[in-house]
Amino acid sequence: MADRRLEALQGAGSGRRPRMGDGRLPVDKTSGPPGPARAREMRLEQPSDDDLVAAVATGDEAACRALMDRHLTRMLALARRMLGNQADAEEVAQEVFIRVWTHADRWEPGKAQFGTWLYRVATNLCLDRLRKKRPTDDIDDMPNLASGDPGPDRQFEQRELAARVDAALQELPERQRAAIVLSHYQGLGNIEAADILGVTVEAVESLLSRARRQLRVSLATEKDELLRSKEISAS
Amino acid sequence: MQNEMTIERLREIVEAYGASPARWPEAERPAAEAMLAASAHARALVEDAARFDALLDMAPVEAPSAALTERLVAARPRAAAPLVQPAPDLRARTTRGFFGGLVEAVWPYGSPAFPAGALAAALVMGVALGSTSGISVLDTDNSVAAITDTEAGEGLIALAMADQAWPEEWMQ
Repeated sequence: MADRRLEALQGAGSGRRPRMGDGRLPVDKTSGPPGPARAREMRLEQPSDDDLVAAVATGDEAACRALMDRHLTRMLALARRMLGNQADAEEVAQEVFIRVWTHADRWEPGKAQFGTWLYRVATNLCLDRLRKKRPTDDIDDMPNLASGDPGPDRQFEQRELAARVDAALQELPERQRAAIVLSHYQGLGNIEAADILGVTVEAVESLLSRARRQLRVSLATEKDELLRSKEISAS
Repeated sequence: MQNEMTIERLREIVEAYGASPARWPEAERPAAEAMLAASAHARALVEDAARFDALLDMAPVEAPSAALTERLVAARPRAAAPLVQPAPDLRARTTRGFFGGLVEAVWPYGSPAFPAGALAAALVMGVALGSTSGISVLDTDNSVAAITDTEAGEGLIALAMADQAWPEEWMQ
């Protein structure tokens, strides 16, 4: 039943002219870059986010799964980098999609970009959570940035580097962290990031500059380690 | 937005947005890329930023768990039950004709044969009971008086007719 409804949706959406940035995803990155005509054809086969949200409002399971396939991983990654642990990140990602389910019948297509709305909800949920958590932070719970010994195993070394990058991110002030997560990790443009954070594009640039400056200081040792490790693996 | 790109402005862009031109401000991107192609200094800035980007990209990320996906599927909206009953089959109604429609308008709760049968049975039972018990009903000017063979019968009839003259023993 649900599959039939999604199929009907895909058929109905196929006649529409795609809008820029309406959440359509490239279908298959593994089989090499498709030509422009094929890429356009593949986009046309995909229902837009707005189409999927309308189907979600009717209880269409396939549309719910399609919307999650498209956005859940990104929302989870955003929350993971904002909050520094997977359990909290899953809670935030779950809350984001529960809000989608709850508001699906009131979603107005074309009024806002669904993807931008999702990012805004996820970012605000993370910032709220960080503000509530702040007074009870225990210094012992913070990851140790200066845990020097990389160990003999290269895989262990990579994990250690990853943990230290994560810890450096968690040390950033919340809004700087949000800016770098949206810009660097989610790949959003400065205008969209400013819209999500509710600030000007100049303010976004300032947040990003300060964030990267602090990260460079925090990760100066790690940058050298990474360079050494790349030289070793290249030789 | 700036129309001219300087090495200082490119440095600011790279220090804020990193090495990938895709992340640079759209309005300044063409000029910045042109400078990148023309200046070794600009390329050195971007190469250094690219190494730092590679370090940032090591921050861990995990795929959504199957449990999260299933919880969300279970919590999805459900289609609401229709509030309005399906429309009746109008063609079936029209084949009943005028009297069929009239009967359905008077008794819309299914077959009218059942209440009609119950009424007929009650009538037959009443006639049979009346003919065997010897009760007769006489009309008077203002009320109906009943004559029965027994005193208890008189009391019952008086009570049933809401007669004001209650038998005294019933009031005690």
